[in-house]
Amino acid sequence: MAPIRRLRKTRALKKIGEIKEGKEIVKQEPSNSLLSLKKTLSGAFGKSSDFRVIEGFINGRAGILFYLESMINPKQMIKTTSKLFASKKDAQPFNTLDEFRSFSREIFGGVRCKSLKDDESVSQAILNGSLVIVIEGLTEIVSFHMLNTEKRALAEPSTQTVIRGPKDSFIEAVSTNISLIRRRIKNPKLTFEKFTIGKDTQTSVFIGYMDGIVNEKVLKELKDRLNGIEVSAIFDSGNIEELITDKTFTFFPLALNTERPDSAAANIMDGKVAILVDGSPFALMVPAVFVNFFEISEDFYQPLYLGSFLRFIRYLSFMIALITPSVYVGVLTYHQELLPTSFLLSIIAQREGVPFPAVVEVLLMEITFEILREAGIRMPKAVGQMVSIVGALVIGQAAAEAGIISNIMIIIMAITAIANFVAPVYSFSSASRLIRFLLIISAAILGLYGVFLMLILMVAHLCSLRSFGIPYLSPLAPFILEDQKDVFIRFPYWAMNNRPKYLESEKAIKANPVASPSPPPMKGE
Amino acid sequence: MYNRKCGLAAAFLSVFLLTGCWDQRELSTISVVTGMAVDKGEKGKYILTIEAVNAQELNNRTASGFAPSTVYGLEGDSLEGLAQKMNVAFSRNLIYSHMKTLIISEKVAKKGMLDFLDFLERDREIRDDFNILIARGVKASDILRVTYQFQKSSPLKLHAQLDSMVKNWGGDPDVRLNDMIEALTSTGREPVMAAVTIKGNPKKGKSIENMQKVTPDAIVTLDSMAIFKAQKLKGFLNLNDTRNYIWIEDKLRRTSLTVPCKKNHYFDARVYDNGTKVEGYLDNGKARITVRVRTEAYLNGTQCAADLVKVEVYKKYEDLLEKTIKKNLLNTITKVQKQYGLDIFGFGEKVRQQDYQDYKKVENNWEYYFKNAEINVNVTARLRRSGIRTKSYLTNIKK
Repeated sequence: MAPIRRLRKTRALKKIGEIKEGKEIVKQEPSNSLLSLKKTLSGAFGKSSDFRVIEGFINGRAGILFYLESMINPKQMIKTTSKLFASKKDAQPFNTLDEFRSFSREIFGGVRCKSLKDDESVSQAILNGSLVIVIEGLTEIVSFHMLNTEKRALAEPSTQTVIRGPKDSFIEAVSTNISLIRRRIKNPKLTFEKFTIGKDTQTSVFIGYMDGIVNEKVLKELKDRLNGIEVSAIFDSGNIEELITDKTFTFFPLALNTERPDSAAANIMDGKVAILVDGSPFALMVPAVFVNFFEISEDFYQPLYLGSFLRFIRYLSFMIALITPSVYVGVLTYHQELLPTSFLLSIIAQREGVPFPAVVEVLLMEITFEILREAGIRMPKAVGQMVSIVGALVIGQAAAEAGIISNIMIIIMAITAIANFVAPVYSFSSASRLIRFLLIISAAILGLYGVFLMLILMVAHLCSLRSFGIPYLSPLAPFILEDQKDVFIRFPYWAMNNRPKYLESEKAIKANPVASPSPPPMKGE
Repeated sequence: MYNRKCGLAAAFLSVFLLTGCWDQRELSTISVVTGMAVDKGEKGKYILTIEAVNAQELNNRTASGFAPSTVYGLEGDSLEGLAQKMNVAFSRNLIYSHMKTLIISEKVAKKGMLDFLDFLERDREIRDDFNILIARGVKASDILRVTYQFQKSSPLKLHAQLDSMVKNWGGDPDVRLNDMIEALTSTGREPVMAAVTIKGNPKKGKSIENMQKVTPDAIVTLDSMAIFKAQKLKGFLNLNDTRNYIWIEDKLRRTSLTVPCKKNHYFDARVYDNGTKVEGYLDNGKARITVRVRTEAYLNGTQCAADLVKVEVYKKYEDLLEKTIKKNLLNTITKVQKQYGLDIFGFGEKVRQQDYQDYKKVENNWEYYFKNAEINVNVTARLRRSGIRTKSYLTNIKK
């Protein structure tokens, strides 16, 4: 065993002399280029205590190893460096890069190896968890990817749960996420392209699509937009979403996000593009249209009648969450004639003694609920129970008993809140959550006329939206008959042999049309 | 671009700022008017009485035993002015959109002072689906005042009562504002209205105690049907005749008919489906009207020991049923022809539709032709079932 000397960067210069005293190996001074590189990198990484520099002799040539201790897999590191510095008697000092490569193959096996040309790429490689080796006399610097792959275990999705269907979800490590999708689509056409976004964070962003199916125009547009991003930091796919969608000032999400690999895979097969961001367990799917936010993968895992019914429930819930409080305000303050007499009398009786106008009552309760909801998400888990008890008491009993609000208001608020949670994609529920308040205000000023005015404005706004050039309301406006198989009613899986037409995929046909299976003929038939 | 944006903003803002909340009324500031009563005034033309309900008393959970409504009357020359002036007595804004019943006193109707219907039809709040009733022999305002255990407020009670009546037996011509106006304006049809009255003591009926008794001191009952000549009340038809009237009008939903099968023995036919067609034309200066009735019923009780397994028995009963219906309808028509000479059945309308050229000649004198019209009634009746028994136990009774 040759002596392996580890030198801390701070003490490196002092110890160079000791390296020289190595016994068997022909001593060679580190050349100027080696030293200057070391100097540059030490300067670049500054005071970071996890930046490591190891100097030693590799097959008789002086070499320096640079790496970030926190980014490198420690086990692999010990195994490889011990081999690297072990000197053999018959070792031939290598003179060319190829010789070094063949030498290193024995040590590093299949670890990804890269040649680096300039200082910039060297520091990038170190940051990405590579071991950078510089050897005296070789023109090129070589890096080995030895990233520490420590990550969270796969868990069940926390926001997009299903009863029947795959229970795995994306995690923060993008490589795992890619593998989760690849495991579902075993097809060489499935392509992942890498982008590095964020001037300072250098975040890896992958776009995944089916080559030959994806709409090339959308793909090009997406690449252009990703390349055009000029920000310093990206931490989550939410950042990317806001930077690439067609319109920022809208309540409606223009990219679908999912934490379910099966949903991502299904969308890719339909011709969409998945955007995976390192560090984010949510994948973005573009282009996304309005009706996508009412579909979940489970629709296809359940019997079709139930799937269709649940879609109907989702659309209904969206409308309930959107308009119930404002209709309540509008009808109670302007259109008492719309209610059946007995119902009106019952509401009047309940509201007797409530000191506020209906709109104040509604805003009071809605805002109270929003506060409770936010508190429910942010509070430490340990105090959760307390808040929910207090919240239920405040909203429910106490307010009604004190006569501040009427009982019917509690019903309105509860159904609104629950309906709002039905949205399968959380970001979409924010649309009904926010527009609701606009509707309440206009109902207070104009009654139902105002509600419908706002709804018309909302539909007009929806019509104006585009997601990567695809009209947001397609396939409803423009109406596409063939795509109705998967909008309000979920058709049998075997009947859906076309990809959504609105996506304009390169290959529109998914499979040959087949009929429903039927039982084999009976005996004697 | 800038101009366009400004224009859009102006349009948007004007929608909100120029319209505004002119008809905003909080629930706690309104009272729901459920009924109106029109009496003849002494100084003014009318006395308008309205009933505004106390919603809390109508709700079981919040009721505390006070009066379910407030009734107040004002005298003046027009209903519109009086309806808007009601705040001389009421503290809250009155909303008329839930008005269920309009009660007109016999006196007002006899004088033919129904011209206030224009206001009711024109007003943007009042609907056209309330019941119009005549108060027979009592003041219309007293009808509003009689309390009742279930709906508590008299107009709400009447509305529900007449609805049930129409569904179960007939007896209410179910006249709404539109029917009234249609009958008033069309030639060859005279209007009718249901008439109600108070059984018992109207003075005692005004109290809460009236709701606490098994036999109320006063109760509003459906009495008969009022017959009009144009706007003037001319007379009344009893409930059986009213039912026959509805039968001819093809508005019958369900009814029950008692038919003699032996001397002093009867069977009951529950009529559940009926279709009536009226054909009419003028022939040599005589109107010929044919009323074709097709009725389906089931036997729902018999006092004769009949073997209801046999087809012949059914045929016999059907025959008896047909005869009874024919007799009843003819009786009613003849009675109206002879007694009033008013074409409440709308035969003139049918003749006009089916024989326009001839009708045009006699249009102004139709009443005469109606009086002398030859009436034919064809009835086809079918007994489809016999309840949940076939053979009556009466056939097996031990002597």
